[in-house]
Amino acid sequence: MQKYEKLEKIGEGTYGTVFKAKNRENQEIVALKRVRLDDDDEGVPSSALREICLLKELKHHNIVRLHDVLHSDTKLTLVFEHCDQDLKKYFDSLNGEIDSDQVQSLMYQLLRGLAFCHSKNVLHRDLKPQNLLINKNGELKLADFGLARAFGIPVRCYSAEVVTLWYRPPDVLFGAKLYTTSIDMWSAGCIFAELSNAGRPLFPGSDIDDQLKRIFKLLGTPTEEAWPGLSQLPDFKPLPMYQPPSSFSQVVPKMTAKGRDLLQKLLLCNPALRLSADEAMAHLYFNDLHSSIKSPTT
Amino acid sequence: MAGNFWQSSHCQQWLLDPSDLVRERQVDFAVVTEEDYQKLFIFFSNFIQVLGEHLKLKQQVIATATVYFKRFYARNSLKCIDPLLLAPTCILLASKVEEFGVISNNRLITTCQSVVKSKFSYAYPQEFPYRANHILECEFYLLENMDCCLVVYQPYRPLVQFVQDIGQEDLLGLSWKIVNDSLRTDISLLYPPYQIALAAMQMACVVLQKDGKNWFAEIAVDTDKIQEITRQILALYDLYKTYDEKKEIQGLLAKMPKPKSQPSRPPSSAQSQDGIQGTNDQSMGVNN
Repeated sequence: MQKYEKLEKIGEGTYGTVFKAKNRENQEIVALKRVRLDDDDEGVPSSALREICLLKELKHHNIVRLHDVLHSDTKLTLVFEHCDQDLKKYFDSLNGEIDSDQVQSLMYQLLRGLAFCHSKNVLHRDLKPQNLLINKNGELKLADFGLARAFGIPVRCYSAEVVTLWYRPPDVLFGAKLYTTSIDMWSAGCIFAELSNAGRPLFPGSDIDDQLKRIFKLLGTPTEEAWPGLSQLPDFKPLPMYQPPSSFSQVVPKMTAKGRDLLQKLLLCNPALRLSADEAMAHLYFNDLHSSIKSPTT
Repeated sequence: MAGNFWQSSHCQQWLLDPSDLVRERQVDFAVVTEEDYQKLFIFFSNFIQVLGEHLKLKQQVIATATVYFKRFYARNSLKCIDPLLLAPTCILLASKVEEFGVISNNRLITTCQSVVKSKFSYAYPQEFPYRANHILECEFYLLENMDCCLVVYQPYRPLVQFVQDIGQEDLLGLSWKIVNDSLRTDISLLYPPYQIALAAMQMACVVLQKDGKNWFAEIAVDTDKIQEITRQILALYDLYKTYDEKKEIQGLLAKMPKPKSQPSRPPSSAQSQDGIQGTNDQSMGVNN
């Protein structure tokens, strides 16, 4: 740890405390994530291992970089590139105003990071503003892969308690066990709306029932016709038949028609119909995206 | 992880050259012959396999644990860490990485004890000597020595695809067994998994007298590599013909290079503390 000078505590991650620190050799600012090795006898926690092994395979501009792993007798420290803030703190600094170009740029970068993960068959599973880092150049990076997993042939069911409630898709809320990339695409849709509203969450539900009702009040309660297999989901329960409002324009008042079209194609209750990250990046909404964002220089 | 083997750490960092292996093993070859060395690795691959089966792990997890084991000794002498300790450590790490549920340390140690007693007493008449704290400590060194490259691609998935593609499903059983056998060789350190799968399938075609010639002719693949793999697997089967493990293994284990003090700290930790004064943290060198 001599190599790094600890500067300040940044926060608490999935499995340990995060510090800002400076590399004494080259003055580079990094984020140190201390992994607690609890005395339950698991050894290095699975969530930390998952993050280490996935980030070894995921090297991309829009994914936080793992520089190093340090170890001592009783602890493991992951050394990450440092970003100035996360999207949540960024929202707090906005005072309710966000530039529409900024919304477009951040959303595109989120999708590009996701497209890369998905092309490597990695699901993030826990997308939320706290897990999206933004540096001072306005670059967005996906972080906190502690709940992510590599997927392939569905070998078994994944645990149900995965995604923060607000960004959880209805299929998962109904207990769907086999997650696909569509889980991240729903979360991306929720974050897109939140971006456009300068940080007002779209579905801030307090429990699973409340979460589902908030979703269906906006999108209409799905039927078996629109979503075959719906009533077979493990935790399915009939909910009031809400009629959706005719337009999203009141939900995301600042968003253009193209933006609303993209949002609606991400926020589809039937997971099979949601756009993929690649499809979303090709959506008309991004046609006028500045070329410097489309092809980053590094 | 399924696709993108070509950009993986497995492909980029962990396909080794045969000459790398020979060079790294010189220390051990000064003590045991090359053939003894191979026999020791066959023994410990079997130990991992039996341990994994007793823990009801899938073959994929067992195979990953075996590759971890080989990766460690591809960079270290047998005297760095007792393989009897490293083997269960590989199982623990692989089961976490492959997400088949965490094995509690208690269960791991108990299983080691019972497996050593019931299946390997011909090699280890004494009780399994290690405890949870040894395994947890060893896990760090394993991670470090693999440069934290934990995702391993196995031949099983490409094998299933190839068998479907060739349209002869009855090849699967035998090819699968050949892939399992290949874990007792260095093949998983040297060749990409799809080539191993192809070699196993081709061997199964020959044994079962299936005609796969056209199919193999149509796929663009380096036939030299497939033949190299085949030769190494056949060499393993040849070895088995004259080798009686139950008779020889105690002698081999007695000869095997060993850590100076055991069971205690693996020597690599002692070195790291000497090397870096005033800190016991050591970089695992996750390179970018």
